[in-house]
Amino acid sequence: MADMTKVSRIFLRSNSRYGLWTIPLLVATAGCAGLAASTGDFATWQNILNLVAQAAPLILVSIGQMIVILVRGLDLSVGSVVSLTTAILSLNAPVYLTVPAAILMAALVGLLNGISVTRFRVHPIIATLSMMGITQGVTMFIRPSAGGTVASEIVFLVSGQVLGVYMPVIWSIAAILLAWKIVHGSRFGLHLFAIGGGETAATFGIAEHRNILAAYILSSCFAAAAGIFLAGRIASGDPNIGMQYAVDSITAVALGGTQLAGGIGSVHGTIIGCALLALIANGMNLLNVSAFVQTIVKGLILLVVILLQPRKNIGL
Amino acid sequence: MTVQPLVQMTSISKSFGGIVALENVDFQLFPGSVHALVGENGAGKSTLMKILAGVLQPDGGMIRKNGQIVRLASPREALDAGVSTVFQEHSVIANLSIAENMYLGKEPLAKFGVVDKALMERNARDTLRGLGLNLDPATLVGNLSIAERQFVEIARGISARADIVILDEPTAALNAADVDILNAQILALKREQKAVVYISHRVEEIFKICDTITVLKDGRNVDTVPASTIAPKQLIAMMVGRELSELFPPKLKRGDGDVVLSIDGLRLTPAATPCSIFLRRGEIVALAGLEGQGQHELVRSLVGRYAAHEGRVRISGRELALPLSANDGIRLMQSLGVSFVPEDRKIEGLFLDLSLAHNLTIGLHSQHFEMKPAGRHREVIANSIKSLSIKAARPSTPVGSLSGGNQQKVLLGRYLALGADILLIEEPTRGVDVGAKAEIYKLLRNYANAGRAVIVLSRETLELIGLCDRLYVIHDKHVVAEMPAEEATEHAILEAALHR
Amino acid sequence: MTSRLHLLLRAALRIPPSFVVFVVLLATLWVLRPNMMNVAILGTFARQVVPLGIVVLGQLLVISSRSIDLSAGGIILLVNYLISSGLLYQWPLLPVVLLCLGVGLVVGVANGVLIGKRRASAVIVTLAVNIVLIGMVEYLANGKPPGDVPAYFRDLYNTRFWTVPAPVIFWVVLAGIMSVFLGASVFGRFVWSIGSNPISAHFSGVPVERTIVVAHMVSGLMSAVAALVQTSSIAVGSVRFGPELVMNSIAATILGGVVFGRPAEVWGPFFGVLCFALLFVVMTTMGVQEPGKLIVQGLIILLAAIFYGVRSKSN
Repeated sequence: MADMTKVSRIFLRSNSRYGLWTIPLLVATAGCAGLAASTGDFATWQNILNLVAQAAPLILVSIGQMIVILVRGLDLSVGSVVSLTTAILSLNAPVYLTVPAAILMAALVGLLNGISVTRFRVHPIIATLSMMGITQGVTMFIRPSAGGTVASEIVFLVSGQVLGVYMPVIWSIAAILLAWKIVHGSRFGLHLFAIGGGETAATFGIAEHRNILAAYILSSCFAAAAGIFLAGRIASGDPNIGMQYAVDSITAVALGGTQLAGGIGSVHGTIIGCALLALIANGMNLLNVSAFVQTIVKGLILLVVILLQPRKNIGL
Repeated sequence: MTVQPLVQMTSISKSFGGIVALENVDFQLFPGSVHALVGENGAGKSTLMKILAGVLQPDGGMIRKNGQIVRLASPREALDAGVSTVFQEHSVIANLSIAENMYLGKEPLAKFGVVDKALMERNARDTLRGLGLNLDPATLVGNLSIAERQFVEIARGISARADIVILDEPTAALNAADVDILNAQILALKREQKAVVYISHRVEEIFKICDTITVLKDGRNVDTVPASTIAPKQLIAMMVGRELSELFPPKLKRGDGDVVLSIDGLRLTPAATPCSIFLRRGEIVALAGLEGQGQHELVRSLVGRYAAHEGRVRISGRELALPLSANDGIRLMQSLGVSFVPEDRKIEGLFLDLSLAHNLTIGLHSQHFEMKPAGRHREVIANSIKSLSIKAARPSTPVGSLSGGNQQKVLLGRYLALGADILLIEEPTRGVDVGAKAEIYKLLRNYANAGRAVIVLSRETLELIGLCDRLYVIHDKHVVAEMPAEEATEHAILEAALHR
Repeated sequence: MTSRLHLLLRAALRIPPSFVVFVVLLATLWVLRPNMMNVAILGTFARQVVPLGIVVLGQLLVISSRSIDLSAGGIILLVNYLISSGLLYQWPLLPVVLLCLGVGLVVGVANGVLIGKRRASAVIVTLAVNIVLIGMVEYLANGKPPGDVPAYFRDLYNTRFWTVPAPVIFWVVLAGIMSVFLGASVFGRFVWSIGSNPISAHFSGVPVERTIVVAHMVSGLMSAVAALVQTSSIAVGSVRFGPELVMNSIAATILGGVVFGRPAEVWGPFFGVLCFALLFVVMTTMGVQEPGKLIVQGLIILLAAIFYGVRSKSN
């Protein structure tokens, strides 16, 4: 009952279960226009490609994060999964071993997250926080500091071109289409919304535990995909490369209109959120804002976004 | 030749954390019949139906469908076995569309595993038309009214092509015209040789459409009888276990006390008709009416939990403008000597994992500044346990381990310990046994006799009539009638609510 | 027979896991390094976790009122910067301490208002505040290595009474005060109530929002106190520490039997912190490296949380 009124009150404002994604879209468009007008460096092909390549890993991680948030969860372990993936890919082994190994490890992390949350009723924050520590430990065990070399196939997959189109563009589009199909086109996606929308989904014959488990596994796998992408880009492994992704993905998801309370959100909103974050970073770089101030701005954005989503419950 | 039962539930038992909800209950359903399941709140009706719907698992007993033993481990399996359930309106999911709610868990798929939205919406539209509703199936349920949500839930239940349909208080949120539409649907199901289980608090409805009545009391079978062989009054006596009047303490004849609380110009919503209410010293006043008509909102607007559009409250000389602050309303009212006892003792009332002593004294602690030492209030605890006859091993016993009746008394005790002059109480006897009911009625009456006053609301109209001195009938978010308890009957209240 | 076993099991489940783990670790250390079993050496181990222990005193308060505080790292960094940057070298001890405590108090109140009054998610708010604080320190320091900490901090830190280090005594006294305060004050009852059921607490007349704000305020203050001790211990400024401290504070709190919605209790988490002191020593003597420590730490949080999840189900 409580959830019901909460959700319906949100609808009075946005009237859709995709959340308020139109406003961030407007802001992003305005931001693009503003940047293009104020510095000549923005509207160049090179800069826009940079922008896409910069945003691609974040988009991947954020889509996974959004899926977990839809079912009233949160995944703080995504960053360490990204790092773990780059560490595994930088091992001295053939691609056909490292890539499946990386994805399997990620799925295992997701599985453990999901089992803790569903079967053992651990709070998602605690479950994923502890998995973050464990995964980070494993990562540093494999690769204590940045280094190693990533197979050239993966490097090509990230930086090459096919028919004149850069690979990051292709991968981003493919990932977005896949995510769209999962979240907005499939039975599974509908059930995610149903589980996030209220506590009564089980009475409709929906297997809540199984779907939530799948959401956590998906989140980890999307993080692994981001890890593969990053490994290809830097052509080596780095145990700390994923550090900022947990916070950044939550910020992007919230920026895109997804409600952290669950049941309301969208893939396109999340992409807009990522674009907005990338734009802000890109814009600050172009305007020569110091890296430290950028950190402060990032934190403030997260604060403002979260304050625009007041909830009924106090606390976590 | 006898007809074989469609469903046969035999000696079903179920308990929750040591509290018995069902004990050896038998229940049979026959095709082409409408079977009423009646009993007081907490008699075990919903638990029994949740077991048949696969939501709960019984501790003992067995279920046969067409003579075969079946195990209904989940709602999914129950649905596959042909059991469809219409729950109350709040089980629909607000962020899904009408069509999605109706087909959730059994969505039709188009190419590439995509949910076939068009087919779903077409079918949903047809089903809704059959219920006389002209709603766009793509509308999100969160945007519908309560009655419309209930119809979505009904549409979902009857479109499932199940041979058993359970209706759990489907009419609680509906008005008379809507009830007629629903009744026509139920009769159509009956003609199709389906079995319908009908749970309702409204005795008149039961006699209108049901063939067979099963009465449960305190988790046990009382009897199963054909509806034609029994009168409403007998049915009520069966539900309560004795003549109703014996439960209620005698009311004193008294002169008019002075008004201790009055509300003027109250409009719960901008569109509602303004209305007024007053409460005299020594009086128990009830807010009666069909469910969901604004009784809860009215009481909760007095403690800031519902933002009424406007109104003025006068309590012992102090005048306040509504709406009150949601955050401080409770504390403000407590400081004015008004205690609010919330309806749902498990969710809104008690701290189930904390001690009896903590639950009794937290109200008193709340009256003090944070930094003050927390008094032990030993005599308050001892007095409350004694005067409310709470049965618990020790004051340190966690409240969650007590029976429903004792829990309710603890909750009441917390607010009585505050020494308030006015008590606002919702559902004072929800889910408690008859003995505890009589005790709670007596407590409230004694409280009023001591020169204080009570506003009470309850789903059980008979309880209100028996307990109170005066009733306000609420309909459509305002007061439509006021009557002394001597003149009130279930029928009169319904008349007042619907024909004005 | 079975019912007695059941009762025993339930009684065992009520003991915070930290007590058991502490005894096990102490025994392990005794077997591995019997020569370490004396007050002076164990006192030194305990002294290392005093900052953690003080952060935990605040963390247990917010966690048991169904919130969380991830901003301790930022507060510690900021306080450390204030002391070591040289800005306050001319100031006497007392104003410096008061200024640092004030910083913690202000951050705590800000957290509390955003979480309690604005009802924003505690994880996100404190995470964001933490990022802002770290960014601020980095901006103020502007890449320069920070300077030294005034000598009197170092002297205080190294003082011992009857071979027990002063910071340890300070921590025990602080924990004792907290324990008595929670057990005997109205505020303690409010925290228990909100932890058990925030809605019931509201309807009982508990000022829920105010209690949350105060809990976060105390947590911020504790972080500042911890920062003072931490800064004295390393005697120099630092631009990077804190994240593992926050993780450990949550781990120790949960290990000590305080999870979201359970009555705040001081001595369980207190021993949870001591467990960490011993754990680091035991792992170091066993040759476990940094990655291994991270894994063990994560496992401890997870297992303790699963333990409570399973228990809440069985009840």
